[in-house]
Amino acid sequence: MLLSIDTSAGTSAALFDGEKLLSSVFSDDPFGHAENIAKAITEVLSQANVAANTLEEIAVGIGPAPYTGLRVGIAAAKALSGGLGVSLHGVMVLDAIAFSRTEARLLVTTDAKRGELFAAGYLSGKREFGPKVIDPSTTTEFVGYEHVSESADAEKVGRYAVWALKNGVDLGETRAIYLRSPDVTPSPGKRVSG
Amino acid sequence: MQLRTLSIEDLPQVMDLERRLFQNEAWLEQTMATEIISGQTHYVGVFDVSLLGYAGLKVSGPSYSSDVQTIGVEPTSQGRGIGRTLMIELLAVAKRQGSEEVFLEVKAGNESAIALYVSLGFEQINVRKRYYQPSGEDAIVMRMPISQPVVLGIESTCDETGVGIVRGNRLLANALHSSMDEHAKYGGVVPEVAARAHLEAFTPTLEAALAEAGIGYQDIDAIAVANGPGLSGALMVGIGAAKGLAVALDKPLYAVNHLVGHVGADVLERGAVEVPTIALLVSGGHTSLLLVRDLLNDTQLLGETIDDAAGEAFDKVARVLGLPYPGGPQIDKIAAEGDPRAIRFPRGLTLPKDLEKHKYNFSFSGLKTAVARHVEKLEDAGQEYSKPDVAASFREAVIDVLLTKSIWACEEFGVKRLLLGGGVVANARLRQEAERRCQEAGIELRIPRFSLCTDNGAMIAALGSQLIMDGREPSGLDFGAESTLPVTTVQTA
Repeated sequence: MLLSIDTSAGTSAALFDGEKLLSSVFSDDPFGHAENIAKAITEVLSQANVAANTLEEIAVGIGPAPYTGLRVGIAAAKALSGGLGVSLHGVMVLDAIAFSRTEARLLVTTDAKRGELFAAGYLSGKREFGPKVIDPSTTTEFVGYEHVSESADAEKVGRYAVWALKNGVDLGETRAIYLRSPDVTPSPGKRVSG
Repeated sequence: MQLRTLSIEDLPQVMDLERRLFQNEAWLEQTMATEIISGQTHYVGVFDVSLLGYAGLKVSGPSYSSDVQTIGVEPTSQGRGIGRTLMIELLAVAKRQGSEEVFLEVKAGNESAIALYVSLGFEQINVRKRYYQPSGEDAIVMRMPISQPVVLGIESTCDETGVGIVRGNRLLANALHSSMDEHAKYGGVVPEVAARAHLEAFTPTLEAALAEAGIGYQDIDAIAVANGPGLSGALMVGIGAAKGLAVALDKPLYAVNHLVGHVGADVLERGAVEVPTIALLVSGGHTSLLLVRDLLNDTQLLGETIDDAAGEAFDKVARVLGLPYPGGPQIDKIAAEGDPRAIRFPRGLTLPKDLEKHKYNFSFSGLKTAVARHVEKLEDAGQEYSKPDVAASFREAVIDVLLTKSIWACEEFGVKRLLLGGGVVANARLRQEAERRCQEAGIELRIPRFSLCTDNGAMIAALGSQLIMDGREPSGLDFGAESTLPVTTVQTA
């Protein structure tokens, strides 16, 4: 039994028994992560009539994502995995989006805010480059790539995690992926008198 | 029938019943009066038209225990469950006050009373021979254990990731991770840096707290988390973690106020909350003066800073003096060599014209500017100046305003107790001067140990525990981060 959580865009949770999706809850509110996270988790559990203590794996979307909400899902996932004593798996969300597609050559982008995109390229399901931050005007440079622009959610994260775990792909990295430094520069300290 | 707390007005009725019940073993009126008005006791009575029964409990915070002092029921009303009602109320008070056990003594021959106590969960632990005089009857000593909740508290309002664990009012663990060093190069707390650090620090801090308390996840009865006031992105990490833990363990979750948490921290030092008190909370994020009449029900914000927090002023002035972040310890260090009266820096919002609107508010931004002007003027003129003197004079101005207003509040509201909290309490001069001024004004000064003064998870756990002991319902699962949560909201529903 695997519970997947994602707060890289909206807030969502999904429950898998092997490859079978048992239940899924999604809210596209881009700001209500802290408010919605517990409800999403408890609802997927109750919809499938599954108790939290029967979960065996937790998977979480680790970004990249532009919102501070990304951390809510990861924090909840870490606490769940600690509290339940089960393993935590990190899913780079562009991998999860790519996995949901069938195109041979893919450029996956998500909104990075500030007029930029998070991007990664895939060939036959294998990541060629990324994740990185790109300027939207440069997407045309990826000749031969099918351009997919969509958000991740727990369903995609969970499906990818189930497949990855079965195929021995390492999902051990659970730290958030930001791709940008904290938006701040050291202040030089200024004079107060003219 | 009505059950209520007794006041001194009830004394004649209580004494009338006491004398009829206990005759030559009855308490003196003076003894009863002292008991009823004492801050360490709780006396309750059951009334219809007149008093039908009364009982009293004495709570000892430091020993986490309570003693049933007396209980008496009108002879004609015995057998109606009045004794049981009174005892249940006293046990609820004992639980609420953080007691882990309740003791009582009963006459060996009073079989119906002993049966009542046994039915409530008391067990005989001792016999005191010939305890009651002049009858010479033996006393049976009985004890009842009270199980207090184990609460895990999560703090992430600013740059400290804290996980604390308490059992009732008893501290079991207080693990902390600070991201202060990561903010040093920016000269102040950067919200995004703090939030990132919380996420990395959460699991190690949680595990450290469990190890320190020597308990496992299965021993936790409830989770508490500070959901404000604080930095929104930082708060969200703690909230996400708290919700994940609550769902994983299927335990109730309490969203509590960080500032009230600071006031409640003292409970872990003395086993009980002592109110009323004035509380001065000073840190890099807050400078607040509170009047607390009841920790859970009656906390009033008297004033707060209208610009910089006191700790922020220390950081900014440290930078003016070319000292590294955080500024507090740096300024404290060099100020030790300086003359606090060398320069008379302004005391913000203390002029007569300010008092009407800002008697209990603070302002430190003008002070910081005055220090900067002073230094720039001397530097421009190529003059040597004493950094220790500037530091000591600045520090004195901050401390003077903080304490002057705190003591005004103690006097105006007739509250002879002052509690200090927040990171700035680390300042040795603040503590020393607070002690001097409070002693002079006859005010009891409370300063919890430093690890309970700075932001920490134990104070959040302690406040959650207080709410549980008081019988409050848990918060829902859908609360969010409240960066400007008012101090009057102790718990978010």
